Amino acid sequence: MNYKFADIISDTKIRQRWEKVRQYFFLRESTYDMTNRCNIQCEGCYYYEGDKQFAKENSELSAWKELMQSEKARGITFVVLAGAEPSLVPERCEVCYQVIPLGAIATNGLKCIPKSINYKIHISVWGNDETSYRIRNAKNMLSRQIENYHGDDRAVFIYTFTPKNIKEVHEVAKVLVENQCKLSFNMFSSPVGYSGDLRHNSDTLKHVYYTMIDLLAAYPEHILFSHYNAIAHTHLFGLHHLYGCSYPRMNPSTDIGLGRSFRQYRADLSWDRSVACCVPDTDCNDCRHYASGSAVVTARLFRHATDPDHFKAWLDYIDTYLAVWVMGYEKGNNLCETAIEPPGYELQEDTRN
Amino acid sequence: MTQVTTMDIEKIILNVANIIINELKLEDVTPETFNPDLDLVNSVGIDSMDLATIALVLRDEYGIRIDEDDYPKLTSIRLLSEYINKKLMDKN
Repeated sequence: MNYKFADIISDTKIRQRWEKVRQYFFLRESTYDMTNRCNIQCEGCYYYEGDKQFAKENSELSAWKELMQSEKARGITFVVLAGAEPSLVPERCEVCYQVIPLGAIATNGLKCIPKSINYKIHISVWGNDETSYRIRNAKNMLSRQIENYHGDDRAVFIYTFTPKNIKEVHEVAKVLVENQCKLSFNMFSSPVGYSGDLRHNSDTLKHVYYTMIDLLAAYPEHILFSHYNAIAHTHLFGLHHLYGCSYPRMNPSTDIGLGRSFRQYRADLSWDRSVACCVPDTDCNDCRHYASGSAVVTARLFRHATDPDHFKAWLDYIDTYLAVWVMGYEKGNNLCETAIEPPGYELQEDTRN
Repeated sequence: MTQVTTMDIEKIILNVANIIINELKLEDVTPETFNPDLDLVNSVGIDSMDLATIALVLRDEYGIRIDEDDYPKLTSIRLLSEYINKKLMDKN
């Protein structure tokens, strides 16, 4: 059956969610490496792949302010502060916040970011304390992260699934929920040239899928995710294959959207269109990053507006994205509780309803 | 095949302008005063999500198929209207 868009949004719940999320269509994102330094060294860290780590760090606050003002002038309304560890340079983050008040910071959570910087704060979690000590060389990581950020409405803990830490997410989620922390999920996505054992395979993708669904059912109040998020990020095909990445690195079009406006600045405030994406130096064929999906899946409104089920799945995805990334946005109940295939693709075997 | 006249195009232009004004809640402009050649991205500041929404409403309005690869290039009222016109002619 061919649905009209008007018919799809005539459903009250769908229309209300659509009206809620479309208020945020003004968001235009770019990302910024704030410093070359980090206080830990993690196996498989994206920042220390490629040559961005060698950019000479610009420590002039006036230069950062000028950059933010020029970003604002060209229409950027949302900043993502990352690489290597932004909490080491809070004064630069503060300058960004003063000019562009919507944004998110990706941090390891070991150093508290001042409350005056009212961005979402994404705290990376790679397993329990034993695993974190092994691969990140930091002791008592989860308890230190929780101590810094429990009860902080800026904070979302982002659990990155590798093939090796799937089972231990249950104990980590339990601890986070007990401490009233919000949790969302990321997938390890191989850097270019990476052939180590953190790369996912069909078995680990399936395992992660079921684990995500179980946790979503167990902790719906604390886990910011949806059934469709799980489908999109654990499909055997990566995000670029499924949705067509819209970041400049993979998108030659400068007509409109991310291909036109997105930039990824290095710590020396330079940028290069040919490598610009949310997590540079990722192998695009293996990309299942939460940050990537937040732009790539959400941008595909048109192809999901074919029938109520696909549109509800897309609304859940964008609702999750906004709750994870935008201060003040409260996630609603997921509208779609069943497995919906990405448009044009089939569901993976064993993930069908 | 239906002959499309200048008048048909003008009607489509006015209707497309009206839809854009409603969808984007634009003020201080009417379908009659909206310059159909204005670049909607550079001059009005619309982005891909706005354009996708407009394309969905136009798809409903005219009962035509709009390809996902096509609409991002349709960045003025005239380009949108000519595209619709061609699709209507192909349909007939």
